[in-house]
Amino acid sequence: MTNRSNWAMLAAAAVAGWLAAGSASAYPTKPITLIVPFPPGGSTDIVGRIIAEGLSKELGQSVVVDNRGGAGGTVGTTAVAKAAPDGYTLGIGSTSSHAVGPATLPKVAYNAVKDFAPISLVGETPYVLAVSPKVTAKTVAELIALAKSKPGQLNYGSAGAGSTTHLAGAMFAAAAGLKMEHIAYKGNGPATKALMSGEVELLMGSMPAVLSQIKGGTIRALAVGTVKRSPALPDVPTMREAGVAGYEASLWLGLVAPAGVPQAVVTRLNQAVHKVVSDPEVAKRLQATGTEPRINTPAEFAKQVQDDLAKYTKIAKDIGAGGS
Amino acid sequence: MELIGNLALGFGVALSPMTLLYCLIGVTAGTLIGVLPGIGPIATVGMLLPITFHLPPVQAIIMLAGIYYGAMYGGSTTAILLKLPGTAASAVACIEGYPMAQQGRAGPALVMTTLASFFGACVAIIIVGAFAPPLAQFALEFGSPEFFSLMLVGLIAAAVLAHGSLLKGLAMAVLGLILGMVGQDVSTGFPRFTFGLGELYEGVKFVIVVVGLFGLAEIVHNIGLGDKREIYAKKVPLRELIPLRRDLRVSFWPMVRGTGIGAVIGILPGAGPAISAFASYAVEKRIAKDPSEFGKGSMAGLVAPEAANNSTAQTAFIPTLTLGVPGDATTAIILGAMLIHGIVPGPKIVTEAPELFWGLIASFWIGNLMLLVLNLPFIGLWVRLLSIPYQILFPSILLFVCIGVFSLNNEPADVIMAAAFGIIGYVFLKLGCEAAPLLLGLILGPMVEENLRRSLQLSRGDPMIFLTRPISLTFLIAGVFLILLVVVPALRKPRKDPTIAAGSKES
Repeated sequence: MTNRSNWAMLAAAAVAGWLAAGSASAYPTKPITLIVPFPPGGSTDIVGRIIAEGLSKELGQSVVVDNRGGAGGTVGTTAVAKAAPDGYTLGIGSTSSHAVGPATLPKVAYNAVKDFAPISLVGETPYVLAVSPKVTAKTVAELIALAKSKPGQLNYGSAGAGSTTHLAGAMFAAAAGLKMEHIAYKGNGPATKALMSGEVELLMGSMPAVLSQIKGGTIRALAVGTVKRSPALPDVPTMREAGVAGYEASLWLGLVAPAGVPQAVVTRLNQAVHKVVSDPEVAKRLQATGTEPRINTPAEFAKQVQDDLAKYTKIAKDIGAGGS
Repeated sequence: MELIGNLALGFGVALSPMTLLYCLIGVTAGTLIGVLPGIGPIATVGMLLPITFHLPPVQAIIMLAGIYYGAMYGGSTTAILLKLPGTAASAVACIEGYPMAQQGRAGPALVMTTLASFFGACVAIIIVGAFAPPLAQFALEFGSPEFFSLMLVGLIAAAVLAHGSLLKGLAMAVLGLILGMVGQDVSTGFPRFTFGLGELYEGVKFVIVVVGLFGLAEIVHNIGLGDKREIYAKKVPLRELIPLRRDLRVSFWPMVRGTGIGAVIGILPGAGPAISAFASYAVEKRIAKDPSEFGKGSMAGLVAPEAANNSTAQTAFIPTLTLGVPGDATTAIILGAMLIHGIVPGPKIVTEAPELFWGLIASFWIGNLMLLVLNLPFIGLWVRLLSIPYQILFPSILLFVCIGVFSLNNEPADVIMAAAFGIIGYVFLKLGCEAAPLLLGLILGPMVEENLRRSLQLSRGDPMIFLTRPISLTFLIAGVFLILLVVVPALRKPRKDPTIAAGSKES
């Protein structure tokens, strides 16, 4: 590289930095739209609204939730990817929209890695391995023994073919070397009900969907899929503790912007999210829905998206899920 | 006796001034969004959720619940007056209510639907209060095979109850089934008939089809009538708001039956108020002495579904509260609100949070009373809507429809789809094809398919699963009985009078 082009680049960077800093000191000057790619009322929407409320106070501009549900979160996420990268359109990205959706759906109009500027993680929801009351197994080891004694006879439920819970269940089966039948339901509610009535023997459920039944004693939790135990269910071991190596999965939710937003906006938003999520009131609300507050840097978040996309793409290929 | 003590506790909670205020806000908002076409309780409850973070839990839940059942009242208003259902559950009200409005009986129709709503809700509240835990157990015994058999009976009913042009009725039902196939296949996740459009992955939304086929098609039709249409508007007799004694008499048993059907369907998670409304309409038509009245303004056909959907809206809280499994999308949000407030729904809620459980039940009753008081005086005003000149009325309706449909999912494609169904509906109207069988096919088809495939997957391909389970077997026997009921007399004499049938081949 010549000296001259070096100087030119430096100058350009300086100008860009100055421009960004200038706009950031003012950012945000108008209301921000937060696209939640799921219909009102789902766990993503509830988390989105909790964060939107916190961000509104923190940024001094109202953050308006715009629900754009459809196609496993990919319709709304497409809208985020295509929005102007000015920091006034943000989205809630999740395992669904940034890993499972692109892995299982035939046509997704965005690249989960390249088309977004990750801001920060907001929360993490463990998958919970739950069994029906009709299943006698009290530990994961007993469950694995049971499933191995009846190959292909046990059913695991999910909230839909190609959904996060389907892939989580398939990953568990693969990690434990089990052969089980996948039974798809239309959403978490019906899947949980099927588990309660014993129509399916087990379910890799998302925490918000199964927490109240576990607490009510109508289904039993054998393990959580996260690295650490969940504060919501402190007595339930992790998969690793329960002896299933190589199973580590959770549902995450985070704030994303379209690729190309000024670095200063990313920094400002990252700070704001950290402050909001660290607020004990907000944390309490998130925890009540089964979501553990989590924060990280944009770089860490980007890496997580990349890793999960690779992980879920592989499992989706292995089981031939969805239209992929 | 215990029930009375519990209710006393509940009313103690629900009658505090602040709780009354939130209950009033909830039911008022519910009525309004029910009246506005397309805007349903789901979006409203979702949007109000953050406000409830700052309220005490009981008041928050009471307000959200009020929106949910309040919407059931308002929904039939525009359905009757303008053939424009405010919510999916009030689509049936178009079939009988709109002809009544055309005959100048909009007032009695509105009064009777309000009374039927109140009646259905009140009876259902008693059921929730007295029998919630054992009924929740019943809901659990209703698995995929049972759902399949129940929905199959529904489809059989739709087919065999067709009068007159059986061909047109069946064709419409099949069209409904085909529309119901659009979207992601539940068992495999493959998108079917989506043409690569993400907007279609979740299927064709029922509300959009209903608004298009009924409401928008009717607007096109009315404009086509030109000067002739003005006649209805001038015929509205404002003095005749009060139902005749005859109206009350013929409504009583249909309301009782509708309430019963609605209560049972509400207990089953996943069915919802739209199905209960259609089911009770089908029953009324089947047992009516003079089925030819149906489609031309039958009071029984109007009040029974109305009692049913309100009854469903109340008993839907049984699985929500005692199992923690929401009956439909709106109760799912209310469930989320409870979790945020640290209330864990489930079998123990009755003992662990008695103020919430009984307070909610008491508030249901108070809320319904408020709805009755709120809705009755407005009827005169609503009826007056019809005297607005049509050239002003129809653009306003179109505007509200567009806003309502758009607000479902903030999705412009939904508005375009509603418009397309409006055009299709106009063609149907001209061809004399009634939309009701199509709607039934659209609701039941996906559920039949989903549960059939899942049941067979559970039994590893053995169809005996439907016959070895008692509840499922009972429904199948009922289905056979229904077929015989129609086939045996039909073999003796030919189908009669094709002309009555035009308005009445839905289920």
